[in-house]
Amino acid sequence: MKTVTVFLGLCLVFVFVWERVDMVRIGYQIERLKRDKTVLERQRDELRVKFSTLSASDRIAKLATEKLGMSLPQQGQIIVVQSRPRPSGVQPSGIALVELKVARNDLPSGRF
Amino acid sequence: MAGSLSRGRRYVLLLLVLCGFGVVLFRLVTLQVLQAAELSAQADRQHQKTVSLEGARGTIVDRHGKILAMNVEVQSVFGVPNTVDSPLKTARQLSPILHVRTDELERKLRQDRRFVWLARKLDPEQGRRLDRLSLDGIGVVMEGRRFYPKGPLLAHVLGFSGMDGEGLEGVEHRYEPYLHGEKRMMVLQRDALGHTVFPKGMMERSPTPGHNLTLTIDEVIQYIVERELEDAVGRARAKSGTMIVLDPKTGAVLAMAVSPRFDPNAVSALSSDRWRNRALTDAYEPGSTMKAMMAAAAIEERVVSPNTMVFGEHGRMMVANTVIHDHERLGWISFAQVIQKSSNIGAAKTGMALGEHRLYRYLQAFGFGQRTEIDLPGEGVGLVRDPKDWGRRSVASISIGQEIGVTPLQMVSAVAAIANNGMLMKPYVVSEIRDADNHILRQVPPQTKRRVISPETARSVTKILEGVVTDGTGTNAAIPGFRVAGKTGTAQKIDPRTGAYSASRFVASFAGYAPAGNPQLAMIVVIDEPLGDTQGGAVAAPVFSRVGEQVLSYLGVPSDAPITLAMASRQ
Repeated sequence: MKTVTVFLGLCLVFVFVWERVDMVRIGYQIERLKRDKTVLERQRDELRVKFSTLSASDRIAKLATEKLGMSLPQQGQIIVVQSRPRPSGVQPSGIALVELKVARNDLPSGRF
Repeated sequence: MAGSLSRGRRYVLLLLVLCGFGVVLFRLVTLQVLQAAELSAQADRQHQKTVSLEGARGTIVDRHGKILAMNVEVQSVFGVPNTVDSPLKTARQLSPILHVRTDELERKLRQDRRFVWLARKLDPEQGRRLDRLSLDGIGVVMEGRRFYPKGPLLAHVLGFSGMDGEGLEGVEHRYEPYLHGEKRMMVLQRDALGHTVFPKGMMERSPTPGHNLTLTIDEVIQYIVERELEDAVGRARAKSGTMIVLDPKTGAVLAMAVSPRFDPNAVSALSSDRWRNRALTDAYEPGSTMKAMMAAAAIEERVVSPNTMVFGEHGRMMVANTVIHDHERLGWISFAQVIQKSSNIGAAKTGMALGEHRLYRYLQAFGFGQRTEIDLPGEGVGLVRDPKDWGRRSVASISIGQEIGVTPLQMVSAVAAIANNGMLMKPYVVSEIRDADNHILRQVPPQTKRRVISPETARSVTKILEGVVTDGTGTNAAIPGFRVAGKTGTAQKIDPRTGAYSASRFVASFAGYAPAGNPQLAMIVVIDEPLGDTQGGAVAAPVFSRVGEQVLSYLGVPSDAPITLAMASRQ
């Protein structure tokens, strides 16, 4: 009986020590993962800022004009046409009305 | 042996043992009772570390979610001078990375201090280069740095935040309580080597980040406005320029630009004059753009109709011993033509027929002399004097936009009220506040301030203002394929040396809206002190036209007028 009690006592001590050691180990692991998370979040934020910088309208416009030779449409070259709704009986089902943007220079000559 | 000790020696031995136990007991009581609190705190300091954590400052995005301002964690570098072996060598290694002079770094590292900042809030690239170095006595802490990825775009509206992350100007300042993150202290356990084991009270939540703001601003429209305004100010060699684009039906600000611009990423070298948002702080005499509001008041009060005939006095009229001139010698013209031709005499006569009390009432109703209550800091009230302080010429002067100071924002709000069938809306720039999990905390609905004029009067005035663009002084504001309503303004500035109107310094402006039949945009362009051609119709109206055409196209607004060959030939 005495031996069993001592054995159980030792087991309890072992479990207690093992638990403490494991807690410390998991603590280190959590800290490492938190550091990794922080680094990844920082990288994500840096990339978001970089994406936002690179997609700025003035940069795109500069690239389009200087590198690709594009130019802004002149006055009167852009016409926005809105399709008119047909009578309900005529309009094919499932086709949504859309707005069309048509560059005037792309239209057949003599239309205007 | 013990038995051989004399009785006296046994007592001495017992006394010594008791003394020994007494010393131990005394020390025990001293440590465990008397110094318990102090020693416990000392032990905590050795194996616990308290860190200050601050939630990231909220992000600001445009109405389509494009990032305009955002925080990123970056490194700040500090030195512990008494642990640096060679200050000169360390300074030489750090100098090219931190972009700080070697002698300055060395001076800091030789100071008799335990902590000294070497550089704060480095660029991410600088941080990566610093990571490759391992220097004794040099440490790094992470701090949030504010980035404005679009550079100068919208800078006057966004404002900027300071080194410690507090909003100092613009939206950053106005919405500081929402944007700043929560500050929390957290206790971490350290092992014998000083490594962090895990936080005490690990289940505590992290500090809450600041809220995110969604603006009414459209980044593309803002870009178009800034590009055209910069171009116009440059071509006119003007002192500055301002442009505002509103949605007249809601009061939402789609764009607000001031030229010259500044980069909020680098404000330290600039004066406050450079970052002041003149669109809502600076008052100017509006000149003839005020005739639109005067016309609305006169028609609403049935003082005139568009067809009422007004005599132009052949270009010269005496009022209170002063002369009011017109730029052309006009005879009998309709009231609609008074506005279209921007006749000072016709407007002054109409204003006088309206009378000072009704004129003052409508000035107030349109929002002049009071803040629009836009959600931006520093808004000015302009200058509208009480009628009891008016002189004999004041009614005539105010009718033509003199003796009154308005901000560009007040003027565009008033014009937007006409565009919005007579309803004055409160302008605003923040449409939504969201928490870090993207849940909407607050949605800002459009707010109607009051009805200023009836829809019928608004339609009459719109028709008159369309005439300004088709046949009057504002033909350069025309947008191919759209009906445009608006009014030009060319106001003389007061010469600060003489106190009289300057013959060479003007404010050229154009305020209007389009499409006139179903207004989607109300815009104002103000160019301060243009050189060369100083007329609002020549300097400001073309900017209105160019911006209007691009923005209406971008928004997909269908044409409401045929494109004439004359317009097509303008290209």
